Amino acid sequence: MNDLIKENKLLDAVVSAFKIEGKVIRDRRVEVLADKNMVSSILLFVKKQLGYIHLAHMTCVDWIDQGEFELIYTVYSPVDKITIFVKTRIDRENPEMENIDTIWDQANTYEREMREMFGIEFPGLVGEFEFILEDWDQIPPMRKEFDTHKYAAETFYSRPGREDAKDVREELNKRSGAKVPDFAKKYSRE
Amino acid sequence: MVREKETTLYIGPQHPGITGNMMIKLKVQGDTVVSASTHVGYLHRAFEKLIERRNWIQAFTLLCRFCVPEPDPMELTYARAVEDLDNREVPERAKYIRVIVMELARMQSFMLWYAGQSGSAGLYLTPQWSVGDRNYILDLFEDLTGGRVYHMYIWPGGVRRDIPDGWADKVLRTMDYLEKRLDEYNKIMFDNTIFQKRAQGVGIVPKDKAIEWGVVGPVLRGTGIRSDVRVDEPYEVYDKIDFDIPTQEGGDIWARALVRKEEVRQSIRIIRQAIADMPGGAFYNKVSNPMKWTVPAGQAWARTESVRGEVGFHVTSDGGNKPYRVHVKGAAYTHGVTVLEKILPGQNIADVSFILNSLGVCPPEIER
Amino acid sequence: MENDKNSQKIVDYIRNFSRKHSLFVLAYGTGCGAIEIPATMTSRYDAERFGIRGAATPRQADVLLITGYLSTKTLKRVIRVYEQMQEPKYVIGFGSCTINGGMYYDSYNTINGLDQYLPVDVYINGCMPRPEAVISGFVKLQELILAGKANNGEKYRENLEHYRTNQKKIIKNWKMPDYNW
Repeated sequence: MNDLIKENKLLDAVVSAFKIEGKVIRDRRVEVLADKNMVSSILLFVKKQLGYIHLAHMTCVDWIDQGEFELIYTVYSPVDKITIFVKTRIDRENPEMENIDTIWDQANTYEREMREMFGIEFPGLVGEFEFILEDWDQIPPMRKEFDTHKYAAETFYSRPGREDAKDVREELNKRSGAKVPDFAKKYSRE
Repeated sequence: MVREKETTLYIGPQHPGITGNMMIKLKVQGDTVVSASTHVGYLHRAFEKLIERRNWIQAFTLLCRFCVPEPDPMELTYARAVEDLDNREVPERAKYIRVIVMELARMQSFMLWYAGQSGSAGLYLTPQWSVGDRNYILDLFEDLTGGRVYHMYIWPGGVRRDIPDGWADKVLRTMDYLEKRLDEYNKIMFDNTIFQKRAQGVGIVPKDKAIEWGVVGPVLRGTGIRSDVRVDEPYEVYDKIDFDIPTQEGGDIWARALVRKEEVRQSIRIIRQAIADMPGGAFYNKVSNPMKWTVPAGQAWARTESVRGEVGFHVTSDGGNKPYRVHVKGAAYTHGVTVLEKILPGQNIADVSFILNSLGVCPPEIER
Repeated sequence: MENDKNSQKIVDYIRNFSRKHSLFVLAYGTGCGAIEIPATMTSRYDAERFGIRGAATPRQADVLLITGYLSTKTLKRVIRVYEQMQEPKYVIGFGSCTINGGMYYDSYNTINGLDQYLPVDVYINGCMPRPEAVISGFVKLQELILAGKANNGEKYRENLEHYRTNQKKIIKNWKMPDYNW
């Protein structure tokens, strides 16, 4: 049974250096919660001093009820083989976050996508504004208030007869007057 | 000395030499590339937004379409992330079946890479052989799951149905046949002087910058760094099976091709061991009511090794019956945008397609 | 000089017969379905015995194979490619996403049916269609060509206003050349 020695050592090193909170979730997974101004110093610390050199992922979760975006940076060490999550929260109405592509070059791509999909501003980010979408004039689409089904139904032409999700076999039988056979009845929704 | 004019060239969405629907905008001077920039977005389907509108089990039909040449690692990573959140145990037999499915997917994706890499060098015989042999593996998938390309077989909790009778013998016979064929592929591609001269010294990824740029998979192993998710963070039953991780020095296209050539032989070794060791028992830890299944709140991160590199899923749940947020990191996300823009300056125009195939860029993974 | 009716029939027959046995498919993988095209063209399901082979540029192609869903960004390029092809030209819709939107019916970026933006000759359903289904779709196209019913290039030319209004509704930044055939 793994007694989480390395994970606790890592957590103590980060928490004592920055006076923040964190916990060990399970083996090989550690998380720390930080203020948005401290994130880049924490990432530089774990990269240069503790050997967490691989930025595996950077993601954003939209907590619309709490009025915040949560940004999560996932960093991995090939030597210790532990993943650490650095989590922070930013305001949803005027989202702005520091640009970390001086620490890792690949963060440029992640930040361009978040700028386009969520509307988060990264001051100093270099790159063409349109990364995935073209000529998009609505709100950033991954926000929770954007209703994608309504937009698709209004904009695109759809073939008549597909608006509802009725069972095809039963509808055709109703129109022609035949009966639904017994083996098909167990898939019926009525 | 005459300074040649700088022209803009679009290796555009419609091109016989690119690996999917993407565009590379090059600035060239004569025959040499000066700068490059990648434009993606032609295949964007807004998967993550669609998954938020479906149940945990309905989202499973969308997952295989994330990466078109190799759909199985996506299903497995989602299943592992949801099992992590839900604390769901997977029976031993299901783990062995999953390992066999993953290694078969790795082999059939290798055959597609093989066709693309040699096709872009002008060797048109190898696609006929390797895509023809790939059909034997797709026949095995069709017996097991019902579909050739998209399987939808690996669920959170196990696999969907047990292996049919006689399937294990068929797999072993196909592995014997394919092992002989791999030696014949050496004769037409790897021992070919034209391929060697075109591949050595081209498209070098430097070793000291590789992890900074986010390079994963066989490209990383081709620079000399020994890193593989199956060994670093073993999942399913990879810690009970004996296999090697090939690495090469150099970082050019030739090193990466040698790494991939050796990896597929290790896959055959893994499949033979898994079939020999597979226990009996249950194959699915049944979810009691899948359409009304709720997963406890929390966040999970799971990684697996696909043929291109490390695939990661970040799943957030708020305790309901629909996923709150699923964010996928495809293996070629960094290769297609950051690494390509950094290693193309200085190469010939004729090598652009060659380098694309060697990095394993798959556009559906980049923009989902 | 106009042929009389019988010799016109013979000329039409010879012309359609030779057209149907030499179909050049444009090398453009627009969506997911492009993964079954290498399997169709190589050794086991050999499509070249029907006369089907790949072409590199639109000027040299006869058939545009729309393999799967189309995002709005790709639709703009597909229209441009289609207008560069020379008549007679055929469009095959591949997969259920071209028929009614498929499983991406509620996505904000994919179109829900191809018929209103480009004229389609044959639909092949499936997700995704097997190589045998692809070949049977091509065989149906060959029957249509022999019967003289596959002239959607003319239909596009005659109803250009109708197609353009539909296309301009979803492609907002219209900076494309005029269609001068």
